[in-house]
Amino acid sequence: MTNQLALLAAVFVFPGGLFALLFGLALKGADRRVAARLQGRVGPPLAQPFFDLVKLGFKRTMVPATSAGQTLFLGAPLVGVVAMLVAAALVPIAGVYAPQPILGNLLVLLYLLMVPGVVLMVAGSASGSPYGSIGFSREMALMLAYEGPLVLVVAAVALRTGWGMGGTVTFSLSEIVEYQRTHGAFLLDPVMWPAVAAFVFFYPANLGIVPFDIPEAETEVLEGPLLEYSGPALGLFKVMSALKAVVVLGLGLALFFPVAPNGIFGLVFWLVEMLVLMILGVTVVRVSVGRMRIDQAFAFFLKWPLLFAAASLAVVAVVG
Amino acid sequence: MSSSHETVATPETFTIPVGPLHVALEEPMYFKIDVSGETVNAVDINAGHVHRGIEYLTTKRTIFQNVILTERICSLCSNSHPESFAMAAETIAGLEVPERALYLRVIAGEVKRLASNLFNVAILAHLVGYETLFMHVMEVREIAQDIKESVFGNRMDLGAMCIGGVRYDVDDEIATLLTRELDRIEPEVDRIIDTYRTNGSILGRTRGVGVLKREDALACGVVGPVARASGIDYDVRMVAPYAAYDRLPMTVHTLVDGDVWSRAMIRLAEAKTAIELIRACLRDLPGGPTHLDDRPDIPRGEAIAKVEAPRGELVYYLKTNDNPEPERVKWRVPTFMNWDALKYMLTGAKIADIAIIVNSIDPCVSCTER
Repeated sequence: MTNQLALLAAVFVFPGGLFALLFGLALKGADRRVAARLQGRVGPPLAQPFFDLVKLGFKRTMVPATSAGQTLFLGAPLVGVVAMLVAAALVPIAGVYAPQPILGNLLVLLYLLMVPGVVLMVAGSASGSPYGSIGFSREMALMLAYEGPLVLVVAAVALRTGWGMGGTVTFSLSEIVEYQRTHGAFLLDPVMWPAVAAFVFFYPANLGIVPFDIPEAETEVLEGPLLEYSGPALGLFKVMSALKAVVVLGLGLALFFPVAPNGIFGLVFWLVEMLVLMILGVTVVRVSVGRMRIDQAFAFFLKWPLLFAAASLAVVAVVG
Repeated sequence: MSSSHETVATPETFTIPVGPLHVALEEPMYFKIDVSGETVNAVDINAGHVHRGIEYLTTKRTIFQNVILTERICSLCSNSHPESFAMAAETIAGLEVPERALYLRVIAGEVKRLASNLFNVAILAHLVGYETLFMHVMEVREIAQDIKESVFGNRMDLGAMCIGGVRYDVDDEIATLLTRELDRIEPEVDRIIDTYRTNGSILGRTRGVGVLKREDALACGVVGPVARASGIDYDVRMVAPYAAYDRLPMTVHTLVDGDVWSRAMIRLAEAKTAIELIRACLRDLPGGPTHLDDRPDIPRGEAIAKVEAPRGELVYYLKTNDNPEPERVKWRVPTFMNWDALKYMLTGAKIADIAIIVNSIDPCVSCTER
């Protein structure tokens, strides 16, 4: 019974649910603020994403007459939020939280991470808007491009941990974190550097920011899949995106740098790490470049990230 | 739309509306775009959303009131309209504009060109999602806005032109201010040119995009930076000098590629030239009056005048009779010539590039639809 309660708490309160949502919104606020400062603007208050969400909550949701039906149109963001809630409970926080094995492992997390993309695709085509359809095809192309390198990176980490622990491969996130806490973080391990390099490209692509905000490009397809969404339904997409930021950044820390003291200091340390990662891995990237075209992005991912990812797997396999 | 552009609807092709209201368009304009996948098959341009009847209105106002009215046709070319209108009226009346006024007209025109070209190039960065560069170019443009506000009193409509001269003067204090601000903006413009020449994000999205070949450019009769980026050496300031341009060190910039990048580079080069022209004007500025002493009489007659607006050749036709109001005023704006060429530029382009290509002709819809 306590076990089930702990599971529910992990999904809805900490580290998933409420905690992840508030932290995700704060990260987005920090991102917007820092980006504004880097661009010579004042920027919105830190709590702006939170204000936006509250405002959307009080608005009406319009379902376009051209949509493929209310169930699909409104169901899509719900599925996305649920997937991200579970995913947030799956991400370990070094020294603070280790997910229960019953929730799933790294492979489950990989599948869950694909859900927001799929949800955007469904939402885009369900909205009946031509811009949504373009967003759909772009999202699909982008996912095909970045999922391949990601799987290779994850395989490299699983292999390195598994062999290091004397087994074959391990997809348990807790074990990956524990292994690094005793043997040193992968970020400081030259064998894993190609994997780190490949993983860095995954951030902007999965979080849908410049240069890879192609499916939602405002000046091209007017937010694409999100164009027809309004009110609480759009709010759900914002919730999904805030949770995803925490999941994706947290996954990076768990895979490559799960170094932190135990207890409350560990949590503070983790929060700071996440903030730094958000600013270095997302904000600085998105203010430094312009958007790619989808064909350019596709070609790009099939070049450098795939090369790094393949190299990382090869290096791990050879070094052992 | 001509029948050659009609496509059979297949499951792979669909029509997307760009406009009349679209984030990427500054003004309402409707592009009906047939695409297959990400590639544009055909474009249908539909205009007329902001028609305000200004041409008709000019025949209800006196010629002198029309100088004020034509300034309000469009904010970005707000100096070129009254300038060419005044030039047409001066031709009819056979007026000799004071030498000093001619130089002051160049200063007003080039300040507007500097700000307008920087604005368009900034929007290009915004459209490729490069917000930092957009903010930076807009910040540099703000220096030009400061110049306008300090010298003319307004940030957009300068109110500089009148029939027979200009309505402002440059004294020592303003000349010092102009020189100081130009010294401030020039290195910034140089740095922007460098950025657009070398930045990977800009080059990747603009090189080879929206190409307008020289033959097509000639066939469409495009003007301004669009023509000059396609290798057509045509600039009203050079081929039919007005104001004081024949006495100034004018350079006409041309490029041959005819893509979005070339058009942006032409605009930046002309921004640089504008700075040099203002400097030359300040250096050579003759003394004397800035306008005629008396309000002139405009007799019966007709005339054509043209100037090089930031977007290209702007032609005014003015016909007067014995009334104080003109009988007919007609103008042909550069965008009217340039937007036909969009069909050539957009065919075969990617959806992602539509906004970038449309912006590259620097469309001024309020001019065109008056």
